[in-house]
Amino acid sequence: MQNSAGSPALSPQAVARQGGMAQLFKNRSLRGAVGLLSFFAIWQLLTSIGVIDAFLLPSPVAVAGAMWDMAVDGSLWIHLGASLRRVAIGFLLACIVGIALGLVSGWWRGVADFLRPVIEALRPIPPLAWIPITILWFGLGDSASYFLVFLGAVFPTYVATYTAVRGLDRNQMNAALCLGAKPWQLIWDVLVPASLPIVLPGMRIALGIGWMCVVTAELIAAQTGLGYLIQQSRMLFQINNVVAGMVTIGLVGFAMSAVLEMIERRVNAWAPSERS
Amino acid sequence: MMQTIIASDTPSTAVPVQIDIRHVGKVFGGKGGDSAVIALDDVNLTIRKGEFISLLGPSGCGKSTLLGIVAGFQGVSSGKIEQNGRPILRPEPSRTVVFQDYALFGWMTVQQNVEFGLKAKGMAKRERAAIARELIALVRLSGFEDKYPHQISGGMKQRAAIARALAPDPDILLMDEPFGALDAQTRVLLQEEIARISSEAGKTVLFVTHGIDEAVFLADRVVVMSPRPGRVRQEVNVPLPRPRTAEMRSDPWFVQTVNELWETLKPEWQKGEEE
Repeated sequence: MQNSAGSPALSPQAVARQGGMAQLFKNRSLRGAVGLLSFFAIWQLLTSIGVIDAFLLPSPVAVAGAMWDMAVDGSLWIHLGASLRRVAIGFLLACIVGIALGLVSGWWRGVADFLRPVIEALRPIPPLAWIPITILWFGLGDSASYFLVFLGAVFPTYVATYTAVRGLDRNQMNAALCLGAKPWQLIWDVLVPASLPIVLPGMRIALGIGWMCVVTAELIAAQTGLGYLIQQSRMLFQINNVVAGMVTIGLVGFAMSAVLEMIERRVNAWAPSERS
Repeated sequence: MMQTIIASDTPSTAVPVQIDIRHVGKVFGGKGGDSAVIALDDVNLTIRKGEFISLLGPSGCGKSTLLGIVAGFQGVSSGKIEQNGRPILRPEPSRTVVFQDYALFGWMTVQQNVEFGLKAKGMAKRERAAIARELIALVRLSGFEDKYPHQISGGMKQRAAIARALAPDPDILLMDEPFGALDAQTRVLLQEEIARISSEAGKTVLFVTHGIDEAVFLADRVVVMSPRPGRVRQEVNVPLPRPRTAEMRSDPWFVQTVNELWETLKPEWQKGEEE
């Protein structure tokens, strides 16, 4: 495994291994694309030959047509933009609160003893159950969506941060202290990078849940957004637009988590969890 | 023959005292309760500038606790501990530590790890890069500056950790069983390396170990501790010249001293195994 010659140049084996890795990655993306395409192909086939009634589930081609029309007239982008803005704001609030609470309860045992039972009791309540009280508090505006996204995303962020801080290596902290680390250096050069392998995946999961929550909120308590699009299309019997909205939600969610995973792999390249 | 002496009779009184440990006691757990464990009991030790001290003893004798107290990671329950006449209150870059598990920062390259203590001092980028490169050369890791800890072997990690600990130019280097996690061959090689590095860098060293031959091979003075409660039971001066080299392991005095220490420590080691 080591480059025993001590030269910085890569050995032939290492080059071969890298080539192999790249090939594998290509193959894996390829396999992913093949999986997705087959899914749509089978769906298309089942609707074309009439196994599935087009009234109950339109074909992918019809859905793509509906998406195209909405993209051209601009309504898709307006709804998508509204949903993205809401999830961004709610998620940001969840990160601020979740990370802050996770930090203090991970650092001070006493705080955790008070805080954790409260959080563990609030956590199992699904965001859907919060909707009546959310409407009571915030009405039918953007604030209701922010709040529901916040509720969905804050718990995984908190748990991840708490776990990361509790798992910090005592010796690494001591090493930093005896080397004379200033508080800012302790935070930015030790605490933050040491926590990221646990905090970033937690944030990715939180964003996924937030994305589901925003759609839920928009089904009931909004006048724009992908959830609203689905709900309104249902009332107008535009089944193609309903499924087009669903497909958009799925694809955007997939893209978000793929981008975050790529960032994780870069930032946490050193961590055992990212090496296979 | 083995010399057993008391700390205050240490020769070369002209050399200034660097670390002064007086009647230090350390109790873990509830005060006076049944759960209280006496980790250290009335420990006295004087470390002079430039000395290499091995703290030798079986597990549970409090040697790592004593090192943690010297580092400033934990306080004393009784007694006092001073560095150059001032009480030790917290960790400081004048006393850096090398840990058994290396405790390198996994997200930094070897170079960045070594620069950490220099960055803390507020040193300019170019200057600290140059100093770090010199230290990496001193521990013979040149060419591995840009590797991450997970890309190098255990022995190389410990070399990097030693360079990192030397970077702030400490008065004393505290080593907590630094070779405990390494295989036997790497351990022997690194013992010779640390013998060379410590005399080249001219540092005071406090070296915690449970290896008798390692303790005697490296030290000017071996401080033997006994467990439950942790106490200093004897001190052995090592007259072997510096720098220490591999052939000194077959020196008659070395062989005899290691055997005698083994004979005296055997009952305690056996006691530790039974518990």
